[in-house]
Amino acid sequence: MSVHFEQVSFAYDDRSLWRHGALADVSLSITPGSFVGIAGITGSGKSTLLQHLNGILKPTAGRVKVLDFTIGAGDKGPLRELRRRVGLVFQFPEQQLFEDTVEKDLCFGPLNFGVPLEEAKDRASRALEMLGLDDSFLPRNPFHLSGGQMRKVAIASILTMEPDIIALDEPTATLDPQSRAELLQLLSRLQREEGKTVIVVTHRIEEMLPYAESWIVMKDGTPIFQGTPAELVREERHLSEAGLALPECIRLWNQLAIKLGLEQEEPCLSAEAIAERVAALYEHEVHPPTWGGGAGDAG
Amino acid sequence: MKDTVLAYELQQVSFAYHPQQQILDNINLRITAGSWVTLVGANGSGKSTLAKLLGGLLAANAGKIYVEGTEMNQESITHLRPRIGMVFQNPDNQFIGATVEEDIAFGLEGRCLPRDEMVERVKRYADKLEIGHLLSKHPAELSGGQKQRVAVAATLAMEPGIVIFDEASSMLDEKARGELQLIMREMSESGGYTIISITHDAEEILASDRAIVLKDGGVAADVSPLELFRNQELLSSCRLIAPFRVRLIQELSSRGIELDPGQDIEEVSEQLCRYISSK
Repeated sequence: MSVHFEQVSFAYDDRSLWRHGALADVSLSITPGSFVGIAGITGSGKSTLLQHLNGILKPTAGRVKVLDFTIGAGDKGPLRELRRRVGLVFQFPEQQLFEDTVEKDLCFGPLNFGVPLEEAKDRASRALEMLGLDDSFLPRNPFHLSGGQMRKVAIASILTMEPDIIALDEPTATLDPQSRAELLQLLSRLQREEGKTVIVVTHRIEEMLPYAESWIVMKDGTPIFQGTPAELVREERHLSEAGLALPECIRLWNQLAIKLGLEQEEPCLSAEAIAERVAALYEHEVHPPTWGGGAGDAG
Repeated sequence: MKDTVLAYELQQVSFAYHPQQQILDNINLRITAGSWVTLVGANGSGKSTLAKLLGGLLAANAGKIYVEGTEMNQESITHLRPRIGMVFQNPDNQFIGATVEEDIAFGLEGRCLPRDEMVERVKRYADKLEIGHLLSKHPAELSGGQKQRVAVAATLAMEPGIVIFDEASSMLDEKARGELQLIMREMSESGGYTIISITHDAEEILASDRAIVLKDGGVAADVSPLELFRNQELLSSCRLIAPFRVRLIQELSSRGIELDPGQDIEEVSEQLCRYISSK
């Protein structure tokens, strides 16, 4: 298991105004090399959950196992190596950047972990390219970039560390829709081709449906659903229960499934897959399409 | 000259943060009072900079900006600025008060309103935004959507004629985003506000009257939202993706199935079922 939570509870100081978003008895597992979506409304504990992955927060009860590290209540353990191997991208990119050039910001992590300068610079350039920004950004001041560009640099700064697990908190919020789709495609590629475990906290479920292999839905600090996309679609009530809006594609598929008796099929969720299925139904071809055919629809 | 009342008129407006890097280049625009205009474009296309110029937070390097007929300059800015409200992306950066009530009152205090009127306005706008029950709450006790409502209430309490939303919905979850959109719709329908919104949200763009597409610091297109979503070339130039419903209709159409876009996904589903059973 890449990540394993055993009855993890976490409480912020009870007198604190920031007490909500705590975790209550969370048990969950994430398989190595998988792409996982975590959904939930503000205050449901999803960001708190993410911060347990590299020991920024430690459980007040229970145990968190990440890669070969175990963190329990009060553990002080060596977190340095864990933090190199688990890259976390926070919600606000402007809070994660601090150097006066993009290159220095991107090199900071690798240099800090003993990577030689030349290799660090090489990684910086490569990470930037992966996010669709060229080398002309290297000498620029990150604080003079647009919000979306800052976000891309913040994500690149995590990739330069070459972590095994990449965990992102609402990574797409400020990006334009095509950059959002491209980022998800990049994460999916890192997962499929380089075996990275990718964990994304999101409230935009629809855009991640083609990529995430499993979903966790959080409510009041507890996972109320863990399963595959197809299960999530069939058990859409969990999304409503968690206070989340149902994506149009799920609403449409479930309505069609009920009216046309398609409940047992793998759901079609992309515009392309639904159109294809409808055309086939009209032609009376009843073979259901294979799951995953929708991944090309993000553009 | 005065046939239609203009909220904004921009004449050859240019702006650069650094001389070697032009952000906006020779922008000409007219925005009718009472309309709802969306500014769209890729990250770094100059949208937020333009919003700051319109809000008077930045001064243009060249060209003229007229707000409701008055040229924006050093002298006029003090009386133009109160006409314009701005709501930003991250409500945390906009929250000033220790409680919701203080936050809404802050701008009014700055304007030296009599106490009675201040109390009345805080209540009226808090009720309007359905946050009346949160007045004594600290910002940390609110959800993202609630905070953004407070930001909108604080802005509207100043009674501006123009409200600029700079990606105000991008940090919100889908539900809160839908609620903010509803508020914007009501504002627009009331006829009392000119709304300028910067957004990547397809549904929000669709709800507006007009989409101005920025690209490389210039206006690349000035079209209706539906035209924008039907024009694939334009969409990719501003890096947008059409809403699911529009994409589905297009995918169906390419397979010879013609549907009416309808009002919502339920209507589309009805039509699809009728289509399939018509065979």
